[in-house]
Amino acid sequence: MREKINEEVSVIMYYSSSKRLAVPHLIRWQNREYLVGKIGYHHTVMEGRVLHHIYELADKNQALWFRLNLDTSNLHWRLEAISDGNAN
Amino acid sequence: METPINYNPPMMMHIDLNSCFAIIEQQANPLIRNKPVAIAAYDTPRGIIIASSYEAKALGIKLGVSVRDARLLCRDVIVMTPDPEKYFDAHRRFKRVLQNYTDSVTPKSVDEFVIDFRGSPAVRRGKSLQEIGFEIKSDIKQAIGEYVTVNVGIGPNRFLAKLAAGLNKPDGLDTINGDNLREIYAKLQLIDLPGINTRYSARLNAANIYTPIQFLDAPMPLLKKRVFKSVVGFYWYLRLRGHEIDQVDFGRKSFGQQYALGDKTSDPEQLSRLLMKLCEKAGRRLRKGGFVAGGIHLWLNFENRTYYAQGKKLHRDIYSTQDIYLAAQRILSNVSIPARVTNIGVTVIDLHPSNPEQLGLFDDSRLDTRSLARAADLINDRYGEFTLVPAIMANMQDVVLKRVAFGSIRDL
Repeated sequence: MREKINEEVSVIMYYSSSKRLAVPHLIRWQNREYLVGKIGYHHTVMEGRVLHHIYELADKNQALWFRLNLDTSNLHWRLEAISDGNAN
Repeated sequence: METPINYNPPMMMHIDLNSCFAIIEQQANPLIRNKPVAIAAYDTPRGIIIASSYEAKALGIKLGVSVRDARLLCRDVIVMTPDPEKYFDAHRRFKRVLQNYTDSVTPKSVDEFVIDFRGSPAVRRGKSLQEIGFEIKSDIKQAIGEYVTVNVGIGPNRFLAKLAAGLNKPDGLDTINGDNLREIYAKLQLIDLPGINTRYSARLNAANIYTPIQFLDAPMPLLKKRVFKSVVGFYWYLRLRGHEIDQVDFGRKSFGQQYALGDKTSDPEQLSRLLMKLCEKAGRRLRKGGFVAGGIHLWLNFENRTYYAQGKKLHRDIYSTQDIYLAAQRILSNVSIPARVTNIGVTVIDLHPSNPEQLGLFDDSRLDTRSLARAADLINDRYGEFTLVPAIMANMQDVVLKRVAFGSIRDL
């Protein structure tokens, strides 16, 4: 089931200069930590002149999917939605 | 005089993304891969499925099925609402991949491209189109994601390339040329041909044409004078033989916005508010495109399955949201509403460039309206859509969300 969350969350991000790749590594939400597994899709959207990075990813255990939004105007992370991959 | 089949080497490629929106969602969320997924305009029971994954299609959940019926067909179907920005992003990546091969890339819709390889550097280097097709498949996986597959069709014209792309879904790569044309047609039905729907098929049947082979063998005068009763018959005669007649670029003729009401209503005030929002969205696109409009078209569908549509040519050009809204509202005010409205749409038509501006003799305030519209657009560009809105649109942030433009990708 997919659920809208829309809460600020803590995220550790990882950047590899050799791969030129910046991805979330760990998410802390509701006192639990989720190690990031597979990044499904990463795209950007403009809200006015503010660039937002949207990461859609699964945790390492492939149990939960997260949709994260990085607001580049203040570098705050927002958890927009989660899903367990089952029907609603 | 008969026109022979085109035996030239096929140089057109048609590529479409398999089950586009559903597969992008499955790419984005690894937990829903290999599961039935349906994308619906609304996820309420009456919402209509606009795309489904191959797993869902196998269960009968196809385009046009309601969410309620989809759930009856499969209790575990995952229904999602569309995420247009993500699909547009995938479209842009898709396009970038293709532009690495040639600059003659024509987007046909958000998930379809036609590529003309005549004289392209890749072909000049001696690569076959099949080799290039496999390379493109691999490049698209790199650019969009490993779960994404595409159909590639190669043919001597756009029509045969599109037909080839549909032969082996998903993840197919097929070529139609002068040598295998008859063999391919022999395996198909008339409605398998792109552009032949059941109505056209019935027309052909009335002329004793029941198969694509009979269609191919039909003399041109029969198609032109009896079946299609126009030059369209001649076009089909050439198209079926692999000659290019579809290389036409239709320019922008209108900007339209429509909305399917989740909460149906016949309340004129609510309809006016919706209309204003649609006019604002159409107006933003009109101004961004650098046009003014000389006419407007409004249509409404009602719950009792009747509809109303009215177009109007205007005495002077419209540019600002306010002017578009006033013109549309004038039409709406004259509509006698027989039942609750289910869909509403507004289109600005008769477009021409906004510069230079044609001023009316007595229009001393028109420049101010334009400047105001430009200033409002600048604020919305800076701070996001609908930051500055007319008062009538207050508290409408979540109404008329951006939906997917299936056909038109000109704004991307």
